[in-house]
Amino acid sequence: MSDFLELIVSAAASGCVYGLVALAYLLITRPTGIINFGVGEWATVAAFGAYVALSRVELPYALSIALVAALMLAVGWLTERLTVRPLVVRGAPPLAPVLALLGMLVVVRELVSLGFGPDPQPVPPAFGFGRLELGPLAGSYQSFFIIAVAAVVFASAWYFFERTLAGKSFEAVALDRRAAALMGINLSRVTALSFAAGAVVAGLAGLLVAPNVSAHYLMGMPLAIQGFTALVIGGASRVEGALLGGLILAVAEQFTVRYAPVPPGLAMGVPLVLLIVFLLVRPAGLLRPREARA
Amino acid sequence: MKTVLSYLAAAVALSAIAFLLGAYQTDVYRKLLLWIALAISYNFLFGISGQIAFSHFSFYGIGAYTIVILITQAGLPLPLAVLATVAVCVALALVVAIPATRLEGFYLALATLAFAQLFIVVLNEGGSITGGTGGLASYRLPEILGVRVAGPWYTVVIVVLMLATLAIVGRLDRSWFGRACRAVRDNPEAAAAMGVNVRRTKIIAYTITSALAGVAGMVYAFVDNTVNPHIFGLENAFLLLFMVIVGGSGRMAGAILGAVLLYVMPFVLSPLIGHHHALVFGIFMVLAVLFQPRGLIGLWDRWQRRRRQPPAPRPQIAKGEAVKREGLA
Amino acid sequence: MTAAAPLLQVRGLCKRFGGLHAVSDLDLDVRAGEVLGVIGPNGAGKTTTFNMIAGAFEPTSGDIVFDGESLAGVPTHGFAPRGIVRTFQHNKSFDSLSVCENVMVGMHTRMPASLWQVLAGTPASHRAEREARRRAEELVDFVGLAEFAQAEVSTLSFGQGRLLEIARGLAARPRLMLFDEPAAGLAPGECARLEEIIRGISRQGIAVLLIEHDVRFLMALADRVAVLNFGRKIADGTPEAVQADPAVIEAYLGNVENLAHA
Repeated sequence: MSDFLELIVSAAASGCVYGLVALAYLLITRPTGIINFGVGEWATVAAFGAYVALSRVELPYALSIALVAALMLAVGWLTERLTVRPLVVRGAPPLAPVLALLGMLVVVRELVSLGFGPDPQPVPPAFGFGRLELGPLAGSYQSFFIIAVAAVVFASAWYFFERTLAGKSFEAVALDRRAAALMGINLSRVTALSFAAGAVVAGLAGLLVAPNVSAHYLMGMPLAIQGFTALVIGGASRVEGALLGGLILAVAEQFTVRYAPVPPGLAMGVPLVLLIVFLLVRPAGLLRPREARA
Repeated sequence: MKTVLSYLAAAVALSAIAFLLGAYQTDVYRKLLLWIALAISYNFLFGISGQIAFSHFSFYGIGAYTIVILITQAGLPLPLAVLATVAVCVALALVVAIPATRLEGFYLALATLAFAQLFIVVLNEGGSITGGTGGLASYRLPEILGVRVAGPWYTVVIVVLMLATLAIVGRLDRSWFGRACRAVRDNPEAAAAMGVNVRRTKIIAYTITSALAGVAGMVYAFVDNTVNPHIFGLENAFLLLFMVIVGGSGRMAGAILGAVLLYVMPFVLSPLIGHHHALVFGIFMVLAVLFQPRGLIGLWDRWQRRRRQPPAPRPQIAKGEAVKREGLA
Repeated sequence: MTAAAPLLQVRGLCKRFGGLHAVSDLDLDVRAGEVLGVIGPNGAGKTTTFNMIAGAFEPTSGDIVFDGESLAGVPTHGFAPRGIVRTFQHNKSFDSLSVCENVMVGMHTRMPASLWQVLAGTPASHRAEREARRRAEELVDFVGLAEFAQAEVSTLSFGQGRLLEIARGLAARPRLMLFDEPAAGLAPGECARLEEIIRGISRQGIAVLLIEHDVRFLMALADRVAVLNFGRKIADGTPEAVQADPAVIEAYLGNVENLAHA
C-alpha cells in the first residue's frame, strides 16, 4: 500500500510537470492560435540555465530560479519578436509561425548542444535528495516541491484568467481577435506577453524536472510530446484541463510501468498511444470549454 | 514520347555519373538521390495535398526494416521479398491513412509525430526481430540468378527509383487528381460541392506518397547495409519538412532544389559547424519562412518573370492586399 | 413551360436546430429550363433550405427527390455527379490554382481517365486533360473572363470571382444549378451581366433555383417565385402574383413600395 501511495506522489509530481508544459502551450495557443512545438526546447534552456546557476556558479536556489525565470522571459519575448511578430504583421497564413517556430526549435536545440556538449549535466534539486513523509504519503523533497510550485502556478493562472481584467482580455483575444482589437486591446502586447509567460512556465517545468532526468540537449522533444498529450487529454480550452491531463497521463505512465507486465522501454510508448487514441476518439479533451456567461 | 525521351536521357546522364565516382562520393550521391526521391513524394503530401504529416520518414524506415527482415529472417528470395515489402508498405500506409485523414492540421501533425516516435519505440523494443537499439547489420543484397547488383549498378537502381518517383508524382500532380488534392487543401467545402470525395482524396494521397517513401526505404537498406532506429528518428522528419519549405512547397522543382541544397549544405559548411548540421537547417528554415515563404523556387520564378516582361508600372494597392499574395502555398 | 414532371421535388422538408424550427413542411418544385426564385425576409429559412437541397446537410425530415431519385443519405460530394451544382455566396475559390484550373476542378466528376490511367500516362488520359482544358477555356470565355484565364485567382475582383463560381459550376454539366445570393456584392453593371448569364443557362434547359435578397433582381429573372417566412412557404406563383399577395406584403412589413425597394 505504501508502495502505491509513493507511486501516487511520484505520478502527481510528473503530472504537474506535464501540466506545466501543457499550460505553456495553452498560454500561447489560446490568444494567438499558434502552436509552439518548441516549448520542450524552452524547458531545456531553463534546465541548462539552472545547471549553470546551481552547479557551476553555485548560487542560492531562490536566486537561481529568479534568474532562470528572467532568462526565460527574455527568451520568450525574443522568440515572439523575431519569428512570430513579423509574420503576424504581414498577415501570413496561420501555418507560417508554426513552421518558423519549428525551425527555432531545431536552432535552440543545436545551440544548447553546441554550448554544453552531448553529455547530460546534473542539476541539484531544491531541497536536496531527502525524503519527506506527509501522513500516509511519502516521496522525495523534490516531488513535493514540484507539486507545491505547480499548485501555485496553476492557481495563479486560474485566478488570472477568471478574475482579473487583464486575464479576461486574453480570453477575449482567444475568442475573437478582431473584436478584441476593436475594443482597444493591444494585440501585439498580448501576443508578446503570452510568449513570455509561456516560456517562463515551460522553463519552470524544465527546471523542476531536471534534477530527475539531468539537463540534456535532447530532453525537449519527449517533454513537448508529453505536454501536448496532457493538453489533448485534458482539453485545450481550460487551464484546469492542462493539469488534469498531465496527472492522468503521469498516472497512466507510471502505473503501467510498475504494474503491467510490459518492458520499461515500451512504457515510453504510453503517452504516444494515449495521444493517438485521444486525437482520434476525443480530440476536444475531457473538460468542455466553459459556456458563455450572461 | 517527348517525356519518355527526356526521362531516358536523364536516366542515362545520372547513371553515367555513378560510374565516374569513387567510393565516398558514390555514398554521397546515392543518399542525395534518395533524399530527392523522398522530398518529391513528401512535397505531394505536404505541399499539394496539404497534409502536415511527420510520418513520411517512418515509412522510409518501415520499407527498409521490412525488406531486411524478410531477407535475413524469413529467408525470402529477393524478388519475392521486394514484392512483399511493397505490399506491406502499401497496406500499412492505407491502415495509417484511414484514421490519420480524419484529422486536420495540427492534430494530424501531432498524431503523425506520435506515430513517428512510436515507430522508434517499437524498433527499440523489437528484440531479435528488429535488432533493438543496435538495429540490423551484416546483411547484403542477395544475388539474383547468380548476379549481385552492387557498386555503380546499384546506384543506377537508385537513379531509376528517383526518376520513377518523379514520374509518378508528376503525373498525379498534373492530372485531375492533383487538382482535386489542391482543391481539398484550399477549400474542402467547395471541393465537395464540385463532387470531390474529400476523405478519399486525402487517403489516396497519403497512401501513395507513404508507400513511395517505403519503397525508397527498401532501396536504402542496401546502401549502408545497416538499419537502426537512430536513422529514422524525428531529426530527419523535420529535415524533410525543412527541405520542402526552403525549396518551395507545392512545387516539384522546389522540392528537388530544397533537397539538394540542404543535403549539400553540411558538406560545404562542415569546416565551420562541424557536425551541427541541424543548426544550419533550422536557420535556413526560419529565414525561408520569414523572408521567402514561396521558397527558393519563388526567387527563380520571379527572376523568370522579370526576364520575360519588363516590370509594368504597378497600380497602388493596399499593403495588406499586396503581401497577402505572398503566403505559403 | 411544358407539363413535364418537375426535375426537383421537395416535399415536407423540415430542419430543426435543437429547439429552433428553421424550416417547416416545405414543398418546392423546379422544372428543367425554369428559374425558381426563393425570397423571404432575414431568418426566413432560405439559406437553410438551399443548403439542404445542395447537400450541405441533411434535413430533419421530408424528402428531396431529383429526377425520380431520393437524395436522402447522399453525401455532399454525391450531388455534383448527379447533376446538382451550387455556387457560394462568399466566393469559395481554390486560391492556389489558376482561373482556368479552378474551372477544371468543376469537371472532376466528368473526367473519363481513371487514376490508374493517370499513373500509366496513357494517351487517353492526356487527351482527357487537353479536352478538359479546352472546355474550361470555353466556359471562362462564356462568363466573360477570357483575359484572366491563366491569372491567379487572387487578382480577380469580387464580381469576377462570382463569374468564376458560375463557370466552375457549369463545368460540372449541371441539370440543376443552385445560386446562393448571386447578386450580393455586385455592382449594377455586374448584376446585368449576371442576369444575362443566368438566362442563358436557363435557356440551355438547366433548371435554376436561386435565393436572393435583391427582390428586384429576382423578380425580373424568375419564372416562378416562392416566398418563405419563419421557415414556411407563404406564397408560390408568378412574380406578379406573388408581389400582389397580401401575405407576402405583410411579411415584408409594409406596402408594395417596400417590396419593390427591398
